[in-house]
Amino acid sequence: MKPFYACNSPEHLLSRRRFLAGTAAGGLGLLGFAGMVHPAAADQLRRTQKRVLVVWLAGGVSQLETWDPKPGTNTGGPFQSIPTSVPGVQICELLPHTARHMHRLALVRGVNTAEDEHSRGAYIMHTGRRQTPGEQFPHLGSVAARLLAPEDSPLPGYLHVTPRGEGVNRQDAAFLGPRFGSVALPDGNMPANMLRAATLTEAADRQRDGLRERLNRRFNQGRRTAETEAYTYSYDQAAQMMSRRGIFDLGRENPRDRDRYGSHDFGRHMLLGRRLLENGATFVKVTHSNYDTHHENFDFHIEQLGEFDRPFACLIEDLVQRGLWESTLVVVMSEFGRTPTINRNMGRDHWSRAWSVALGGCGVRGGAVVGATNANGTAVTERQVNGGHLFHTYFRALGLDSRRNHYHSGRPIPMADPQAAPIQEILA
Amino acid sequence: MMRRRPSLADRPRWLKPAAALLLLALSAGAATAQAPLHQRIDAAIAAGTPNYEKQAAPLASDAEFLRRIYLDLTGTIPSADEARAFLKDGTPDRRAKLIDRLLASPAFARHMATVFDVLLMDRRPAKFVPAPQWHEFLRASFAAGKPLDQLVQEILAADGADPKTRPAARFYLDRNGEPHQLTRDVSRLFLGMNLQCAQCHDHPLVAGYLQAHYYGLYAFLSRSFVFNDKATKLSVFAEKAEGEVTYQSVFDPTKLTKTTGPRLPSGPGLKEPALEKGKEYVVAPVKGQRPVPRFSRRALLPGLIAGADNMQFRRTVANRLWAMMLGRGLVDPVDFDHPANPASHPELLKTLTDEVAALKFDVKAFLREAALSKTYQRSSELPKGVEEASPRTFAVAAVRPLSPEQFAWAAMQATGLVDADRKALGTRATEAALYARLSGNVIPFVQVFGGPAGQPDDGFQATLDQTLFLKNGTLLRSWLAPRPGNLTERLGRLMDAGAVAEELYLSALTRPPSDEEKREVADYLAGRASDRAAALQELAWALITSAEFRFNY
Repeated sequence: MKPFYACNSPEHLLSRRRFLAGTAAGGLGLLGFAGMVHPAAADQLRRTQKRVLVVWLAGGVSQLETWDPKPGTNTGGPFQSIPTSVPGVQICELLPHTARHMHRLALVRGVNTAEDEHSRGAYIMHTGRRQTPGEQFPHLGSVAARLLAPEDSPLPGYLHVTPRGEGVNRQDAAFLGPRFGSVALPDGNMPANMLRAATLTEAADRQRDGLRERLNRRFNQGRRTAETEAYTYSYDQAAQMMSRRGIFDLGRENPRDRDRYGSHDFGRHMLLGRRLLENGATFVKVTHSNYDTHHENFDFHIEQLGEFDRPFACLIEDLVQRGLWESTLVVVMSEFGRTPTINRNMGRDHWSRAWSVALGGCGVRGGAVVGATNANGTAVTERQVNGGHLFHTYFRALGLDSRRNHYHSGRPIPMADPQAAPIQEILA
Repeated sequence: MMRRRPSLADRPRWLKPAAALLLLALSAGAATAQAPLHQRIDAAIAAGTPNYEKQAAPLASDAEFLRRIYLDLTGTIPSADEARAFLKDGTPDRRAKLIDRLLASPAFARHMATVFDVLLMDRRPAKFVPAPQWHEFLRASFAAGKPLDQLVQEILAADGADPKTRPAARFYLDRNGEPHQLTRDVSRLFLGMNLQCAQCHDHPLVAGYLQAHYYGLYAFLSRSFVFNDKATKLSVFAEKAEGEVTYQSVFDPTKLTKTTGPRLPSGPGLKEPALEKGKEYVVAPVKGQRPVPRFSRRALLPGLIAGADNMQFRRTVANRLWAMMLGRGLVDPVDFDHPANPASHPELLKTLTDEVAALKFDVKAFLREAALSKTYQRSSELPKGVEEASPRTFAVAAVRPLSPEQFAWAAMQATGLVDADRKALGTRATEAALYARLSGNVIPFVQVFGGPAGQPDDGFQATLDQTLFLKNGTLLRSWLAPRPGNLTERLGRLMDAGAVAEELYLSALTRPPSDEEKREVADYLAGRASDRAAALQELAWALITSAEFRFNY
């Protein structure tokens, strides 16, 4: 639906800019966003802006080798469980660094999403709904981009650090619109078309922009709408983004941090995640691939979790140390878990009936464990939840009323499945 | 400085006695019915708003009209030469002549095919029917002047088994024949009712959208499925003879199960033939064979949806064609027609609904009348003293973003890529040949500017990747590099800055430059004698990335 000229008014944008610019009102030029932020305003922004980090363990991580180990049972596999920083809570020995931060994380051990197919499972975990024909729900990242991102942030609201992929995935945003789709940062690289053509000098670029702006001013005198305004403003945003492309550059990170996170892909990608969150990103998804361990489940989990554990723990430490932990919701999820039964290839297959999700940070009660599975992990015995419950919980943790509606062409669409509710036990 | 306001001299002379016609239309009662449709449109629009004359924008200048009518009827902008010729044409009926010329051009059928493809398929990737075959089916239909009711009937009747009509089956097949998806889209597209919300319960906000409506429509389609014929290696739409539709409301605590046969929202229940047991099929369902039921529910759909008795279809066609030209439906959104969301001009919608039938669903004839109306031909610039124009009044023309396809073709025309290719093709430069050569360039624009597949393209958002694509991308940059016959090559041959400005503005913005703009161009070039070629490309870039270019105004 065409927006009526009100909610996106230039006055609104202007007041936000003033807020960001502190007392230096009017300095709207093409300076970097960070350069414009007044220290006091930056502090306020840091306290009020909420962020989300989703670590997506693609393919389906095993709950038994992570958050809900069953050592010594017929399904438990070879690994032991280890104590954590929360007395009485044990996780798999493959996560020793994460275990030290357990008091900051909450575990949901009774997840039953009842969907064992990759794309449909991923859909549930990204949207909080089962796939239904004729209706497309937006990703958590798109909703966060829509509701949490500052209107004038030069950064796209939903960033996806991914081993592969490119461009903007518009599908993710569904009816919220392409502006809220995920922007891929393939192997941590910046988005496409961020560099000025080599043949165009900076002076020439400024000159042609100046002419474009004069044309726009004349056109907008009698024909300004929210849409023309959004279009002309997008060039300012693009210029800001280009001037800030250094935030994608890990070369500017402290070498010590690069060592801490590790030189492997996932380590670099998590460090980039931290860098983005520190620099005003609203929603960052970091994908770690691949956990689809139909063969040699245990060897693969040693390798994969060996990559996952340390950078994940580093990121928690760093967010805490930078004062961002309380305002950043962190979720570790997959499309599903893995079968308790070990198949004849020493693998575990797709399994959505009884698995776990870990979360922490903004609005989450650290150290809480909710839900339980039976002795060998084949069924949920306590506090069973599905994707709908998780979505209510994420929204509530971020301070959003999860019973609110999105509106699409005047149709109300509940933000989270109305038949589910938040998991209060893990909310702070 | 504002662009020159349209003076009286800009207006076609046949519109001068407009006030007299308006009076006639308002007062003549029965005689009004005899007035041409475009005059009745203007009378109804004027009657719909108090003080309309004070709020209404004057008629658009010839240049503004020229750009708009090209974009709406051919999906692109005119060349500089075409613009020059029209702006020089002093004949009183030049606008009407142009409308007729564009409607008769091959570009019109091409543009309609694009518009209806996006409308009907929501940019879904092709699955069972190749997209070019579907596009050609639509293009040929519009080129032949096929009535719209017939086109819709063909689409809803095609099952893909007959090679002659297979392209039309893309509507069903490339939605995987999914009956819920089809129910939503048939109701939205052809009945103007988005019944999506009524799938699980009666619509919570719209009294007129019932769950029974949804499932009545669903029942036409629920027995159908995509059948993969191993022998022919073709997927076709097949149907079973059995399967009743039941549903419950998620709001109903008693979980009462209801049932329905096929039925349109406004229609009566249908009597289905009682078939003897064992005789339900012409071709019985056995493995590997496509079943054919003796009685097909789906076969009733084309006639019921797009048949003469369905007023709701006619009304939806009228509203959607109106929205195509005016940028907004009389009922808005176009798929949200219900009593609590009345038309902005109910009498006009009734008139247009009747006219759709009177014109025998002739799209050209309908669009022609819309284009001839003063309502369509008004300026999009707010008149002096008017602070804000409500889009519901149609008193000021809408400012609409170009579709991704319009944007791509307009940019190809502005940069002279089309001219250069036409020159290269020489006598073989037919519309079809140019389309074949250039349409690949539309794909990146659709990827960057189009909505997600399977979702209606509605709303406008400026995204960062779009702007970076225009600012730093290689595609537009490559079009700006000089090449025989293209814009920057033509500009490079002009020594006089005034001539450069004129060629540049006519090519990109379909209007002559103002004096201020001529000065700007001269100033821009003055300091750039050493790299004039680069400066010309920058000038062209600035015009093409301006809001004036991005919007149909």
